[in-house]
Amino acid sequence: MRRVVLPVLLLALAARPAWASPNHKLRPGANGAVCLECHGDFEEKLKKASVHTPVKSRDCVGCHNPHASNHGKLLAAAQKEICATCHDVVPKGARSVHKPVAEQQCAGCHDPHASANKFNLVKPAAELCGSCHKGVVDGAAKARFKHKPVAQGCSTCHEPHASAKGGALLKADVPGLCVNCHKTETPIFLKQHVSYPVGKSRCTSCHDPHGSNARGMLKDRVHPPVAKGMCTMCHEPPGSPNRFKTRQVGAALCKGCHGQKMSQIQARSRIHQPVAEGSCLACHTPHASSKPGLVKGNMVVVCGECHADTIRRQEVSPTKHQPVKDGDCAACHDPHSSDASLMFQNPSRIELCAKCHEWQKHSTHPIGDTRKDPRNKNLTLDCLSCHRAHGTEYPHMMPYTKTSDLCTKCHENLKR
Amino acid sequence: MTWKIPFVAVVLALLLPAAAGAQGAALRFEKAIYVDEKEVALRAPEGVACSEGGALVVADTGNARLLLFSWKDGVLDGGQPLKLPQLAHPTRLQLDRKGDLLVLDRKARKIGRVGVDRAFAGWLEVSGVGDTTAVVPGSFKLDAADNVYLVDLAARRVLVLDPGGKVTREIPLPADGEFTDLDVDATGKIFVVDAAHATIYAAEKGAGAFQPITKPMKDRMSFPAYLAVGRGRIFLVDQNGMGIVTLGIDGAFQGRELSLGSNDGNLLYPGQICLGAEGDLFVADRQNNRVQVFAMKR
Repeated sequence: MRRVVLPVLLLALAARPAWASPNHKLRPGANGAVCLECHGDFEEKLKKASVHTPVKSRDCVGCHNPHASNHGKLLAAAQKEICATCHDVVPKGARSVHKPVAEQQCAGCHDPHASANKFNLVKPAAELCGSCHKGVVDGAAKARFKHKPVAQGCSTCHEPHASAKGGALLKADVPGLCVNCHKTETPIFLKQHVSYPVGKSRCTSCHDPHGSNARGMLKDRVHPPVAKGMCTMCHEPPGSPNRFKTRQVGAALCKGCHGQKMSQIQARSRIHQPVAEGSCLACHTPHASSKPGLVKGNMVVVCGECHADTIRRQEVSPTKHQPVKDGDCAACHDPHSSDASLMFQNPSRIELCAKCHEWQKHSTHPIGDTRKDPRNKNLTLDCLSCHRAHGTEYPHMMPYTKTSDLCTKCHENLKR
Repeated sequence: MTWKIPFVAVVLALLLPAAAGAQGAALRFEKAIYVDEKEVALRAPEGVACSEGGALVVADTGNARLLLFSWKDGVLDGGQPLKLPQLAHPTRLQLDRKGDLLVLDRKARKIGRVGVDRAFAGWLEVSGVGDTTAVVPGSFKLDAADNVYLVDLAARRVLVLDPGGKVTREIPLPADGEFTDLDVDATGKIFVVDAAHATIYAAEKGAGAFQPITKPMKDRMSFPAYLAVGRGRIFLVDQNGMGIVTLGIDGAFQGRELSLGSNDGNLLYPGQICLGAEGDLFVADRQNNRVQVFAMKR
């Protein structure tokens, strides 16, 4: 019997944690209150309006290891992972996730200890959202026609972390979200939409939910027939059983008003494939857009639907070409048609580049029609002899790792 | 014991060619064509066509003309210019069995026929579909019986025409994608390339729809705008990636060759390719203002 009891007792003693040892008895408040003896600056933080629950309860060891850690600030887990040990903010089957959440950059929006703002936000909510979404927040502030929920805060319509119910972090899909407030069966709603029953249509295809300068909060650039309420110019009448059907299909419909423009496009020798296919809506939106020319979005996105490889080159390039960065593909290319190669706006690449890089015409490596390219007797030197306009993985949009690799392609005598 | 060595040798002999084939076409630069017979430089050539008999025709697009060469036993000859007012924007070419030349003119958006006397012999008139004026050919190829296969951009379909232009078959293109080229193999199987997604689709002889034979291959190429099928392979011209990609006839990736540049053997926005009778690959090296000839591994 004694043989059994003794080992059990020994094991029980060995299993006792260090803090339970009479030699390591913790001081009262050692899980946090003691920390403040040294970290006195926290007294001020604790007076703030919003204090993180473990901080409030002086439970510093909830996040920090008091002795040693493999992570910065003695955190008990990696900075990107520690919040998730308590906070599960992404719902199952999320349809959209906020980028900082996906990147586990919680501290970008929240102060882990305390803040003057609700939810420990590092700035007041609108200001915080505006630090990344400046264009939207500034645009909403300046808009002539404002959307009331925007003034109430972004979280009126958007989830801050992730949404299982909609894209763009929306609390519900459009139009479901919109019809919570806007009753679509009312006579005034029908009148505003020229008697077309648009209650199930995507409101944001015409309206800017963040406010706009156009009546009816339509996006800033409105197709004139829409602005004039002349829907029947393109669609069957509202009383028709096929009321949303267009009067003609594809480019044939657009030609009714844009015939002259389309003749100009057809007169050139190179036609952009979507134009040749008569797919105007591959790039344009028919009702309203925030972009000039009723382009359906930022050109980098629209053009990138087919030319993803070209857009990708700019993304990886350490040197960014300004027109691509600005989403202004049309600065260099004609998106409809051109007589010049690569759909350039100007057949002379030197003249094209000189639109912005004017000095290059008179102060650069010799270029021009009289300067033969030593690599190829049928080429003369121009800007694209050395640069790729959408960027490369190397600086200055050059196609080689080192400048000397490029130069010695022609100046072979200087090779070492 | 001794039988083991010959056995291994036989197995290796059987496997090695297949393994080598899976590595691509192993292109070796042979020649660059810079000028015509009168030393006039080529300018932005977009098309090439070659025949079993060794004829090589170049669409010297920037100079609004065609150039007539021959390529036999690795020797280039000729280079006579042929300027036809009806075909001032030649962009894609095909030679038929008789030696007639079919030329897609980019501005006219029609296919013109040039007889063996090298005179303009009229436009290929498409008949047998509803609105023939609405047919906009984006690219075309011929089969061994001179039937014409064309991508009709306006209606997003492939039309198969008999040599006289009568539609014998119509296959819709998949709903999503930018279809820039097609080809047909000896069995009548049609291949089309969606350059935007770098995906190849095929339709067996008699099939009513295209099926993808590859996944999107954007990780392997940028914008495969041209396609040629032959020698048991699919050849793709990666126009924006400045390379030639080879796939097995089943769509399996084999390899990628050539690269950006202006030295001989490099490419700059290449255009149409054709496969010569002697196992050569001709490339309209558009922005380099030349046509290049590469020998392929047999």
